[in-house]
Amino acid sequence: MKKVFVLLLLMISSTALLLATGQQGEVETAVESGNEWNEAPMLHEMVVAGDLPALDQRIPKEPMIEDVIDEIGQYGGDLNLAWKGLGDKWRMGNISVECLFRFTPDGTGLIPNVAKGYDVNSDATEYIIYLREGMKWSDGEDFDADDVLFYWEHMLIPGTFGKKLYNCYYSVDPESGDKVRAEVEKIDQYSVKITHAYPFPLFLERVTIDNKWFFAPEHYYRTILPEFIGEEKALQIANDKGFNDIKSMGKWTGYYYWVWPDRPTVRPWVAKNSPDEAQVIWERNPYYFKTDALGNQLPYIDRLVIDRVEEENNRDLKAIAGEIDIHDVASVEKYPLLMENGERGDFRVVKWMEPQTHGVALNQTVEDPALRELFQNMNFRSGLSLAINREEINDIVYDGWGESRQASMSKGMANYSERWANKLTAYDTDKAAKFFDEANLNWDADKKYRTFADGSDLTLILYYNSTDGSHVEKSMELIKSYWDAVGIKTVVKGVDRTLFDEMKYNNQLQASTNNFNVFNVALRPDVVVPLRVLTEWSGFYGLHTSTDGAEGVAPEGDVAALLENWGNLTSATSKEEIAKYGDEIMALHEKNLWMIGYVGNMPKLWVVQNSLRNFPEGLYQTDETRNIGAANPSQFFFKQ
Amino acid sequence: MDTRLEEKVIAGEEKAEPEKNLSKIKQIKKRLSKSMDAKKPDLDESYYMASQWQLMGRRFKKHKLAKYSLIVLGLFYFGALFAGFLAPQGLVSYDAKFTNCPPTKIHFIDDQGKFHLTPFVYAIKSERDPETYRKGFIEDKSKIYPIRFFSRSVEYKFWGLIKTDIHLFNVEDPGKIFLFGTDSMGRDLYSRILHGSRISLSVGFVGVFISLILGIIIGGISGYFGGLTDTVIQRIIEILRSFPTIPLWMALSAAIPPEIPVVHMYFYITIILSFLGWTTLARVVRSKFMSMKEEDYIMAARVAGCSTTRIIASHMVPGFMSYIIINMTLAIPQMIIAETSLSFLGLGIRSPATSWGVLLQEAQQIQNVALYPWLLIPLLFVVVTVLSFNFLGDGLRDAADPYK
Amino acid sequence: MFEYILKRFLIMIPTVIIISIISFWVIQLPPGDFVSTYAAQAAQEGEVLDTAELREMREVYGLNDSFFTQYRKWISGIIFRGDFGFSFQWNKKVSDLIMSRMGLTLMVSLTTMLFTYLVSIPIGIYGATHQYSFGDYLTAFIGFIGTATPNFLLAIICMYFAFRYFGSPMMGLFSPEFAHAPWSIAKFFDLMKHMIIPIVVIGTAGTCGLIRVMRGQLLDEIKKQYVITARAKGVGEKTLLYKYPVRASLNPIVSTIGWSLTAIFSGSTITAIVLNLPTQGPLLYGALLSQDMYLAGGLLFILTTLTVIGTLLSDVLLAWLDPRIRLGKDEA
Repeated sequence: MKKVFVLLLLMISSTALLLATGQQGEVETAVESGNEWNEAPMLHEMVVAGDLPALDQRIPKEPMIEDVIDEIGQYGGDLNLAWKGLGDKWRMGNISVECLFRFTPDGTGLIPNVAKGYDVNSDATEYIIYLREGMKWSDGEDFDADDVLFYWEHMLIPGTFGKKLYNCYYSVDPESGDKVRAEVEKIDQYSVKITHAYPFPLFLERVTIDNKWFFAPEHYYRTILPEFIGEEKALQIANDKGFNDIKSMGKWTGYYYWVWPDRPTVRPWVAKNSPDEAQVIWERNPYYFKTDALGNQLPYIDRLVIDRVEEENNRDLKAIAGEIDIHDVASVEKYPLLMENGERGDFRVVKWMEPQTHGVALNQTVEDPALRELFQNMNFRSGLSLAINREEINDIVYDGWGESRQASMSKGMANYSERWANKLTAYDTDKAAKFFDEANLNWDADKKYRTFADGSDLTLILYYNSTDGSHVEKSMELIKSYWDAVGIKTVVKGVDRTLFDEMKYNNQLQASTNNFNVFNVALRPDVVVPLRVLTEWSGFYGLHTSTDGAEGVAPEGDVAALLENWGNLTSATSKEEIAKYGDEIMALHEKNLWMIGYVGNMPKLWVVQNSLRNFPEGLYQTDETRNIGAANPSQFFFKQ
Repeated sequence: MDTRLEEKVIAGEEKAEPEKNLSKIKQIKKRLSKSMDAKKPDLDESYYMASQWQLMGRRFKKHKLAKYSLIVLGLFYFGALFAGFLAPQGLVSYDAKFTNCPPTKIHFIDDQGKFHLTPFVYAIKSERDPETYRKGFIEDKSKIYPIRFFSRSVEYKFWGLIKTDIHLFNVEDPGKIFLFGTDSMGRDLYSRILHGSRISLSVGFVGVFISLILGIIIGGISGYFGGLTDTVIQRIIEILRSFPTIPLWMALSAAIPPEIPVVHMYFYITIILSFLGWTTLARVVRSKFMSMKEEDYIMAARVAGCSTTRIIASHMVPGFMSYIIINMTLAIPQMIIAETSLSFLGLGIRSPATSWGVLLQEAQQIQNVALYPWLLIPLLFVVVTVLSFNFLGDGLRDAADPYK
Repeated sequence: MFEYILKRFLIMIPTVIIISIISFWVIQLPPGDFVSTYAAQAAQEGEVLDTAELREMREVYGLNDSFFTQYRKWISGIIFRGDFGFSFQWNKKVSDLIMSRMGLTLMVSLTTMLFTYLVSIPIGIYGATHQYSFGDYLTAFIGFIGTATPNFLLAIICMYFAFRYFGSPMMGLFSPEFAHAPWSIAKFFDLMKHMIIPIVVIGTAGTCGLIRVMRGQLLDEIKKQYVITARAKGVGEKTLLYKYPVRASLNPIVSTIGWSLTAIFSGSTITAIVLNLPTQGPLLYGALLSQDMYLAGGLLFILTTLTVIGTLLSDVLLAWLDPRIRLGKDEA
């Protein structure tokens, strides 16, 4: 009996001891990372002093919980960054972006972000978006369905920030192809219903790409929009804020709003001074709606300190000196330089990937009829593709970092196909010559250059954007030498970015650079479907579509098929149907190789201070996932 | 005592006694003789019979640095003329295996201590550092490639006329000789410097020459005639001076069709530059003219009935020859620098055509300054050229100085 | 003298107007306009603007008006209201932008100019009086290195060395800690530390020319008759040097000092870009590149006015320094 009693006592006491130490362990972790108040010390001070409401009144009842990347973080620190000023606003936009939903890293699904979740009915005509109860703007005002409705009625529809209503808000009639605007209504304080006339399976994905957020601070805009306070007063306020007129005020506070100090946001950090100062400071948003897995309110980092540095060399130098905490490296040839200085600058190099392929293309609607016929001839394009020594370009220009491949989707993204990636990528000048013969090209008297069948001179002018960087220049130089070598006389011309765009919009390009950069054909088709003048290969086909046939060149054959498939895709009623038409579009591109790729899947290098943690590795750098936004920067922290 | 002996005595006294012990009169005498020394030429027949140019030539030879500079510049221009022959590679000799390779070492004595009559290089092996991914190049001592002179290599056109493929020196494939290393595309820097010198050295000359002529003529007219002519010309100068050059360059760059050879385009731009550049010289010439106009000898010439042109050309111009020469020798390097600035802004020569400006612009990357410093060698060439022109200018000025 | 100044002043006005028209025209010479630059830039950042938006922007910015209408609006704004217009790029008033950078620009430019003149003139005098000595060659050599090296290359080399051996590339004018701090001794020292590279780079480029000119001119003057006479009379070497020859040699230098005003104002554009200095130079460069009409126009207008004033100043100084010109004028 005594034995049993002692044993029991021992068991109980040891369990108690274990529990006690276990708890102590937990308490210790809570103090080391995050803390016991679950909020930043600087905020906690303000709460204690009575200047700020308590945590549970600042964050929503169901905050967004970010998964842990490396570990739970510690509060504190200044994140030092560099930008070029207002011309570089998206850099700051991307690092702080918060939309209703965001993409999964592979781009196939949506995760709720600002929104809590959504419901969609069986035929994809009704969507209900649920917002978070108790969520607040950065100035403490409530964030609710009124903000979405206000944005819809008073900003999106009348276009107060300079953009007309996005395409993602129109559903398409499968019969007539007519676009019908959606209807948005408030169900309750935290739910919004969007009704489409026709099925729209990819609605939310499209919103996430086109409109990104889909809300605006109602209380703020009621004080500055002319609709509410009258034109005169609005103009006065615009001038006070430093804007020339109401429209620019509308654009800057409505669209590029993150750079202005007095405009409330839901982003992790809020601008504190004017964006054209040499050093811009952003401070933490006390009402930020996300927490980490342990309930600590994000972000961990207190402030962003952003210096204006205009030259790329300067940014590199500052990065290797350790004066910038996150630096996105412009080109892979800097890798040795970075690695050699890692210790001195106390940083590491993180590799992501750019799922795009650098390429060239022939303007399919080029004005000269002889050239146009030649460019539209698949044999000619095949020959040009085979004449490019991709391995050499990869070695010389990119130091072997990329992959030599055809212009096609990258691995890990939808519509990736190995066959397509390798199509006509061999370096085979004999086969190229055969293709040129099939394309009815002759040789000139010296047998040096090819001519048209009738003997007239054939010269390709290869344009590139001279502000794109030296690797494009070098690649074009090499490609010129390859094409010269197989008898296609090529002249390379680098033009200023503005001029390049002018020429593009006026159908003056011949051969030019054309990168294959597609995230998901169903969501952003512009590179592969000529919906407007945007991509170099499709020239004025795009104008024809965007002006409904009034101007431009009417698409024929496979190009017309592209548009037909796209039409079907937009009016498709299910995700399977959408995928089917997307596949068709990609298959047409594989068949025709309108864009000829040479090197792709380049690594994207980041210089990250060693003390900065929770910076993920191996993500894809795409615009749709907001570049660095994909890393969920609110989770970054400095390990002390 | 004849004057030469007198000089020697004074000189001897100088050496013998420290300066501070000389009496005041002796000091004055010494300083006088210093300034008069220069005026004491060799007093023999040949001196009096020599023409102005011969005199200049003789005095020029005395200036040692100027002599050497002339030789150096002569070498550079020779190199520019015979670039195709002197360079082992052409402009488009890309090589992925040897990107950013440091200069090849030339040896006479091999590993075993044997002496070779002809210099040789070893084969080059490249290794990538697994951590930093940096290419390291080391000599592979097992293979020896003697340097061959008058060897056959890349084909080129000698002076654009004769096709040939003989180069001054080279090594047999697969050996490589990179005297100054290679750039990021594997091109031999030495060859590129030689080819680039053709553009850099010649175009600067042309531009400066044009500026010079314009500056002297217009500045001279303005200064000599004064009054309304002067005012109008001055206003024109001001207008030209305030011209924003960057948009002008951008507009030009855009307006030029792509098919014309790059060098032609560059000539156009240089002519424009020199059209805007003569203003400095014109203003200075003008101010000199205005002050010289009142000099006695000019008045004498006018009274004697000399035509205006003669007055300007034979009397006034030699008066400020020194300033013009200095200006010209300073202007040529300025032209070279201007060309590099154009390349920096992206408006000048483009690859594969080369000039020193392009080479410098390519070197303008942090990784080049840090890891591949041999890419800065073109800078040395630019500096030496500038120095040479300046010392040459000095020598010419001293030789031509009419006051001596 | 006064009459002369007045006459010049009156001529200044039409000159400036002609210059302003030409400048305004040249700014718009490159193809496209601000909206196309804006669109191109936006496209690079991943944002695509469609033609309707671009058309509207052009309306708002008044880019569809004829050249003369635009010019008239602009110039009348300046003359009658002192309103230099609005920068499209920065979204601020042009006058605000220029004023905000003025202080630092003046500081950088004046310091480097001071450095240049203070260093060059004595060295030039030394070179002339000790011709062919070692010191002469040494200074010539250093001066040439400065002029021969393109500024942007020199700047980047200096910055890299600063990074390698001092741990920080010394970019910009202030270290991050002092950027927003109030003025203090520490901040002043920080500023001086950052000024070293700009002074070295910009200054050396200017010293060479000045040294050579000073030296050359002085050499010419020393050999002249009146100097020998004065020496014979027993005038001390120092007085001999400074009273007349140096004054006369300053002639060509003075005639270009007026143009230094514009250099002061724009603070050596390329170097400032490379060194990340927040001065007017990069502002003008950016404005010209993106065809930000009013900002570029405003800056150019100020520059041209300064040039013209500078020329006037030079002429007056010249007349004052060189009695021969003064006399000449009176006779004429």
